[in-house]
Parts: sequence; structure tokens; C-alpha cells
Amino acid sequence: MKRVSLFTICFVIFIISWVFLEFVMGGVISKPIPSSVISMYMALILIAILVHVSVEDTRFREFLRPIHETLVDENRHVRRIVLAVLIPLLMLGYTYSNLAQKANPPGDPRDAHPSPPLELTYKDEVIGSMQTVENPHRHYEKDDPEKFKSHVENGRRVYYQNCFYCHGDHLDGQGHFADALNPLPANFQDPGIIPNFQESFFFWRISKGGPGLPASGTPWNSAMPIWEDHLTKEEIWDVILFLSDYTGYPYRTFGEGH
Amino acid sequence: MRTKNVVHLVLILGLLSVLNLTYAQDTPEVSEEGKEVYEESCAHCHGIEGRGDGSAAENLLPRPRDFTRGLYKIRSTESGQLPTDQDLFDIITIGMPGSSMPGWETSLSANDRWEVVAYIKTFYDGFKESETPPRQISLEGKIPYSEDSVEIGKVLYTQFACFECHGNLGRGDGTSAPTLQDEWGFKSWPANLTQSWNYRGGNGIDDIYKRFIGGIAGSAMPMFEDPAFGLTIEQSKRYNELDSKVEMTESEEEEYNQLDEKMGNAYEILDLMADGDATEEQKQIYDTAMKAFNVKSWHLANYVKSLSPEKQPEPAIGKNVLRSQYTINELPEIADAAWETLESSYFPLVGQIIVEPRQFNPTIDSVNVKSFYNDTEVVFLFTWDDRTHNTEVEEDEDTGTTFEDAIAIQFPVKVPKGPTAEKPYFLWGGRKAVYLWQWKASDADKVTELTAKGINNAEAQEVQGDIQAKSEYTDGQYKLWVKRALKTDDKKDLQLESGVFVPIAFSAWDGANGDVDTKRVISSWYSFVLEPVPSSRRFIYPPLVALLSFGLLVGLRQFVRQRNT
Repeated sequence: MKRVSLFTICFVIFIISWVFLEFVMGGVISKPIPSSVISMYMALILIAILVHVSVEDTRFREFLRPIHETLVDENRHVRRIVLAVLIPLLMLGYTYSNLAQKANPPGDPRDAHPSPPLELTYKDEVIGSMQTVENPHRHYEKDDPEKFKSHVENGRRVYYQNCFYCHGDHLDGQGHFADALNPLPANFQDPGIIPNFQESFFFWRISKGGPGLPASGTPWNSAMPIWEDHLTKEEIWDVILFLSDYTGYPYRTFGEGH
Repeated sequence: MRTKNVVHLVLILGLLSVLNLTYAQDTPEVSEEGKEVYEESCAHCHGIEGRGDGSAAENLLPRPRDFTRGLYKIRSTESGQLPTDQDLFDIITIGMPGSSMPGWETSLSANDRWEVVAYIKTFYDGFKESETPPRQISLEGKIPYSEDSVEIGKVLYTQFACFECHGNLGRGDGTSAPTLQDEWGFKSWPANLTQSWNYRGGNGIDDIYKRFIGGIAGSAMPMFEDPAFGLTIEQSKRYNELDSKVEMTESEEEEYNQLDEKMGNAYEILDLMADGDATEEQKQIYDTAMKAFNVKSWHLANYVKSLSPEKQPEPAIGKNVLRSQYTINELPEIADAAWETLESSYFPLVGQIIVEPRQFNPTIDSVNVKSFYNDTEVVFLFTWDDRTHNTEVEEDEDTGTTFEDAIAIQFPVKVPKGPTAEKPYFLWGGRKAVYLWQWKASDADKVTELTAKGINNAEAQEVQGDIQAKSEYTDGQYKLWVKRALKTDDKKDLQLESGVFVPIAFSAWDGANGDVDTKRVISSWYSFVLEPVPSSRRFIYPPLVALLSFGLLVGLRQFVRQRNT
């Protein structure tokens, strides 16, 4: 059996790398990879291959042999003609598709976690420091489980009367109003949401909504209503209890004893 | 070897279907668990006692099902029958598309869903009392989908008077649409048959057929009646033909009377069958009449299937972004065939539930947009379905106050530059103003320019620019055509430039649904672009590059050869 030439091996490695970056890797990290990043990686791979084949004189000559043969050998006539047609055609197609490309919409770089203000407020009333305010109904969880349950139930009522249109019956951000919104409503079943924030942070986001987001980290484009216009303080704290009760995720806490 | 495999496969498939069947019938006994799951996941809409009166119910339409009356819309069983356990299980699993009932496949285990089936059956005593299993609808005699069948179905659609509720083209815009109520007295809009993704029980032809045969219990379409029951399609066609004649010959008259009698007989037998008093002979006549009815229903199902695309269009984001196409020709008028050459961009709309008064039960669900531009002007064609044509405020005792239909198209006054620039607040602006085109049905060929800094803070611009508008309302669909210059002298107007992505958003009002002011449907920001004319360089550079690469190859060969010698 004929040995596979070094050139073929390098060529195959190069193609496999490209296929992997272009079609596979995006799926693995579930995000499309920008073409500029792919070009950068491909350039690195090309350089690595060239370095590898050119460190030894004999290896370099072996690498060049098939190219050399294709270019001048008498019995490589067919291959030469095919390549002489194919390569210019590929270049033609590539240049055309680049020039005929449609305008690309601007991406929406979004900081997922807005930084909250120092003080937590409800309407104009100051509740306390964002870092230390706790859910005033949380302590019932230990002190009076029955009462805690009634607060969770109240939170459930609030949720299904106000929130589930967008955030969904399953709290997964796929409510029946969600599809007209961009960005999509928060998914509370995502393990990266509830456990990453204190209850005070949730209170802030619920009470002030999209318009209360900070001036940095824009554009937010949030459709979240200002719920302090519709809900009482107690209702907001209760719905916060419900979110964690339903999903089973605890909120982030600070300090000892939590 | 091969046959053996096939036999194995058949055996396995057979076994699976048997397993499935036994599982389906093997609904667990009512348990504490079922109650618990119900109260955790269902009660907030369907109520603790299954009356469809949970805390969320008031703001939902269709209302959550009241389980205490045993009326279930989506069944595989005949008219007047209870659903099978599998029917209930499927609804819980898949949900009711187009309503607020989601599928529970991802959030409840199959076991939990079966427990819930057992539990919701306890709300209606009829489930306990019925000794025989409900009669399933037979799918025998299915007529495969074909153009011919669709044509026949189309005629039947008129004969069965489907258009009275569902409208001529199926957009749910029939004349009785605004007056319909369900069994509980709640508003019941007829389905828009051009949106198959919202068919509650699925959009397969079998599903549609089952809705005909079984009826949609509790809705305004509980039973399905054939005005020519007892006649085949050919006979009823002949009957109508004769019926419309001014004068009949003697033989024609005889034929007519025969058909008339046949129909009368069939109806009579229908009653006898219901009472269980029919003779063998009458049963046979009934069977023949039912067969003819089923044939008609299959044709009709095929026709309904033909009315809608299979899937909901993708929203106009990412690759689907609305692209206004450049043309060197005159911009097309509202009825121009040129519009057919463009794909629509689809923008879903949802109820505005941020500012009071709010709209929790929207009836307009999307707007489709197409656009062309040339060197000086841009033209848009907005299309949206609205079951009713309301051009003024009307007080009506039965249906309540209706308002006029309207739509508003929203742009920023200035296009935000750079990816991090903040757009104006999507709900008609805030600190940053928005520029709006508002159209109202009462003044159908006019668009007013507004500037707004909030949903309750909008004003008509003092200087109204030269914007042309035309609109049409036909068969439950609005078309609005708007043309404006790319650039204007007014600082309060949006200025357009090729290649720049411009935020766009929508508000729409269905007067018959009580939409007025903030009560409306909305979208968040999308974007559109005047798609730049592809550069003519695309015809020059590529051949040059190809030529160059060929030259390089030839050069390389010469170089190598020379070095060899």
C-alpha cells in the first residue's frame, strides 16, 4: 500500500480543524463563533503546520514533493489541469460571496448582571442597604412554617396574576407573551439566576423593572414593568419567596448563620 | 435473515403499542400525590375545586377549563362523549397551543401527569358513573389530502356555513364572530384557521377531522351539523342546483322531492337513534348517511389544512431581520404584484400589561411587513389579521363598547449609534423620544406623525410631513401602505440612510377587543435596514482574482521547472 504523503496529512489536519471550528465548536459552546476568531485560529494552525514541516530539511522536501510533482511531472497532467481550473474557480466563488454579502445587524452585547444601587427603595421609601436587607417574610420558614406557606401561596397568586404571561407557567421564561420580547424574559429555572443573587437584588429588579436599570452596561432593552406601580411591598417579597420555593433554588446570602 | 429482522421489528412495535395501550388505560387510582401535583401546578388557573376559577383565571381568555361539567374541547371521542384518559393525558403533556395552557412534558413526570388525570376526573361525577368506555372516533375511510379534495372541501365550507364564524378565508372574521360566547358565557373568538400553530388539538388532518366529528365541547362550536344530512356530496350538489331553479320539469321535481325526503328521513332517524328506537332498516339508512357525512368531513378537514402554513413564521430577528429592498423602479402601490416577490418579516405582538389599563387577552397576534426603497423614498406594506372591522366608537348592549382599530409604527427619532447605545424606552419612549406613524381605521388613508416621550405622553407633530398612506380591509385582514421620503427637513422625524440598522416596534389596537389608549398589543424593539445595493464590484473583482490565481499557478510551475534545469 502506498504511504500517505506528509502533505496529504497536513492538508487533512487543516481541513478537519476548519470543519471543527466552523460547524462543531459552535454547537459545543452553543454559541456561533465569530468568523474573525475562526480566521485567527486557522492562521495559527497553518503556521504550526509550516513550522512542523520546515524544522528538518528532509521533512520539508518530503512535504514539498507532491506539490512539486503536481506542478511539473509529466504523468501528473490530469491532476494539474483539474487544479488549474478548480483553484481559480474556488477563488472566484469566495470573492463573489464575500462581496455579495448582506448587511449584518449589529450584535447586542449585554451585561447579564446589572449593578444594583446602594440603597433599596420601594417607590420613594428607603428600605435599607442593598447588601443587608433581608426578606422580612423569610424568617417564618423556621419560626412559623404555616405562616411561611401562606406567604408562598400569596406569592404564587401574585406570580400567576402578573408574571406568568412572560416568565411562564414553568418559570422558565417561556410564557405565552414571551415570543414578542427581545431579550427574552428571565428563566428562573436556570441555575445561574436565583442562586447568584440576594433577595434584595430581586426586590430591586422587580420593583423598578426595565426603566430602573443603570446607565452603564447598556443597552438593556428590558420590557420588565415597574412592578411597584402595581404591587405592594409585601406582594413583591412574597413572590420572591415563591420563585425559590417553586424552583427549589435558594437565593444567595451573605454573612454567617445563613 | 432480513425477513427475520422485519418480523422482530414488527413484534417489538406490536409489543410497544400494546404496552402503550395498557399504560393508557391503566390510569392510577386517585391519590394524595395527584391532588398535591394539581394544587401545586394547576390550581392557580383551574381552581382548587376544578371550577376553572383559580386566581389567574380572570385575566385569561380562553378561560381555564372548568372540570366540574365534564365538557372537554379536545377529544378523540364522539360528540357528547367524555374524553379518554389518554386524551386528558395528551392535553396535559402537549398543552393547548394559542392559549395560556402550556405543555407539561418538561416539568411534570409522566407518572405525575397520570396522577393529575386521575385527580381531575374526580371533579365530575360522570366519569365514575359511565360504565362503558367513551366511543372513539373512527378514522376509517380517510380521504388523502389532494387538490381535488381541497376543492370539494372548499364548496362544503360554504355549504356548512363555516364562513359565518370563521370568515371567507378562514381568518375567524365571520359576521357572528363578535357575538360568540362559550358555555360559561365568556367571549369565544372563532379560530383563525390560517394559523394552524394555534389549533388547540393539533394541526394534523386527523386532528381537524376529530374536531368536526367530536365537536369542541363547551365552545361556540360544540356540534357540527350537516345541512344536507343524508345526502352524498353529489346529491346535495344536485339538490342545491334544483333548489335554485325557477322552474323545474316534472322529472326534476320528482328528483327534488326524492332528495328532500331522503334528507328528512335521515334527520328523523337521527332522533330515533338517539332514543335507541330505530329499526334495523333505519339503522342502515343512518349508517349510509353517517358515511356520507364522514366523507364530507374528510374533504372539509383537507380544505382547512390547506388554509394555513404548517409552522408559525420565525420572528424578524437575526437572519430574518426586515430588509427593505432597493429598486430602481417606481415604488409599488398597495395592490402591486411587486409585493409578491418579497418575503414577509414576521413580528409577534403581545398584550400591553405594563401600564393601566392593560390588555391581558390580545386578539391581534402579529404584523407582517414588507418594504422597498429607491434613491429618494421608502414604502412599507404592513399586514395584520383582525377579525372585526371597527371604524368608530360604538356602544353595544351585547358586546360592550368597541373602539376603532389602529396601528402605530415606532422608530427612534435618532438611530442610536454603536452597539452599546441605549434605545428609547420600547413603550413609546421615555427620556429619549420616539417618532411614530399612527394610523386609525376612521381615517383609512392617512398616517399621522407623532412624537412621544412615554405611552401617555404622545403628541401629533405640529408640522405633518408628506406621508402617503392607503389601507384596505378584506376578509379579516388589514393592509396598510405607507410611503415617505428617506430624508425630511423636520428635526423631529427619523432620517433614513441605506445600510443603517434602524430600531422598529409596533402597537396595534383591535377595537372589538376593547383596545384603546394603553390597552393594546405591542412588540419590543426589532430592527430594519435599507438593504444596501450590492456593489457592482462583485462582478469585477472575482474574475480578476480568479485570473490572478491562475497566473500565479502558471508562474509557480515555470519557476519550479527553471530551477530544476
